[in-house]
Amino acid sequence: MSEQGPPELPNIITLIYDRFGSLPLAQFLHHWENVFFSCLIAILLGIVCFFASRKPKLVPGGLQNFLEMVVEGISNFVCGILGERGKDYVPFLGTLFIYILCMNLFGLVPGMKSPSSSINTTAGLAITVFLYVQYTGIRKLGIIGYIDHFAGNPRDLVGILLVPLMFPLHIITELAKPLSLSLRLFGNVLGEDILIAVFVGLGISMVGFLKLPLGVPVHFPFIFLAMLTGTIQALVFSVLSTIYFLMMFPHEEH
Amino acid sequence: MTFQSALGLSVPLAVSIAALGSGLGLGRMGAAAMEAIGRQPEAATKIQLAMIIGFAFIEALTIYALVTMFVLQGRIG
Repeated sequence: MSEQGPPELPNIITLIYDRFGSLPLAQFLHHWENVFFSCLIAILLGIVCFFASRKPKLVPGGLQNFLEMVVEGISNFVCGILGERGKDYVPFLGTLFIYILCMNLFGLVPGMKSPSSSINTTAGLAITVFLYVQYTGIRKLGIIGYIDHFAGNPRDLVGILLVPLMFPLHIITELAKPLSLSLRLFGNVLGEDILIAVFVGLGISMVGFLKLPLGVPVHFPFIFLAMLTGTIQALVFSVLSTIYFLMMFPHEEH
Repeated sequence: MTFQSALGLSVPLAVSIAALGSGLGLGRMGAAAMEAIGRQPEAATKIQLAMIIGFAFIEALTIYALVTMFVLQGRIG
């Protein structure tokens, strides 16, 4: 009986670990693999943004133009859902979208790995969203309004009678949100990566009789599928976070 | 039937049943969204956004089955 994980493509760190497995640095890198790649992506994004905004021009060109377009698009999108008050949440939600998109697509670069194919990365993001949403709820509604929101806004006798039912229901709903957010992103990205790794293995074994380090690129169509799913999952994560913010805002139905 | 063979039979079956249900749900939802866009093309962006959010919720159910498969995969041995 072999405890074997799902297949995955080799990346820089597994190559270093295979070559210098006895060195403490290689073991350290292997242990913190996902953290290493997520920090690498954050640093790369930081460098790109630094160079784009170093000498801002009134009439932007090149990189600055592109980033302004992206930021404006995200801002319009978030404000389209949340309304005018959504301006405060554009930096957070936009960062989430760009960061998750880069993490999902990073696995397609040869020698790199998607950090979001680990449950720890996605759970960290989802818990951040959860805490920020609860903080927003307490800020916008006040402590009393927050408890009132959890009790289902009881205004009449039926509402008050339903409070013992609504209270645990709302708490379970709130706790299920980060769970479903993290599991959705993790499962999608990991499934896509495993699919590509399996087809790469198949392509290599197809010409294995040649005894050459070659393979048939049968995994090629799945790279496009992975690009599509990665983009959609990044969009879904940020849209659902936006919706959770919207649900925490004061209702205007009265 | 041993524990391992029962698991080896049931885990892929669980994923496939979940995928079947999700596929039916996604098909219904996609058809309804396409019809809505056809009736009212100017509301296409709003409908698409709602459609993608709904897709995410339906698809999550298959993903839960897939995650369960990953958890149990090591035990099939």
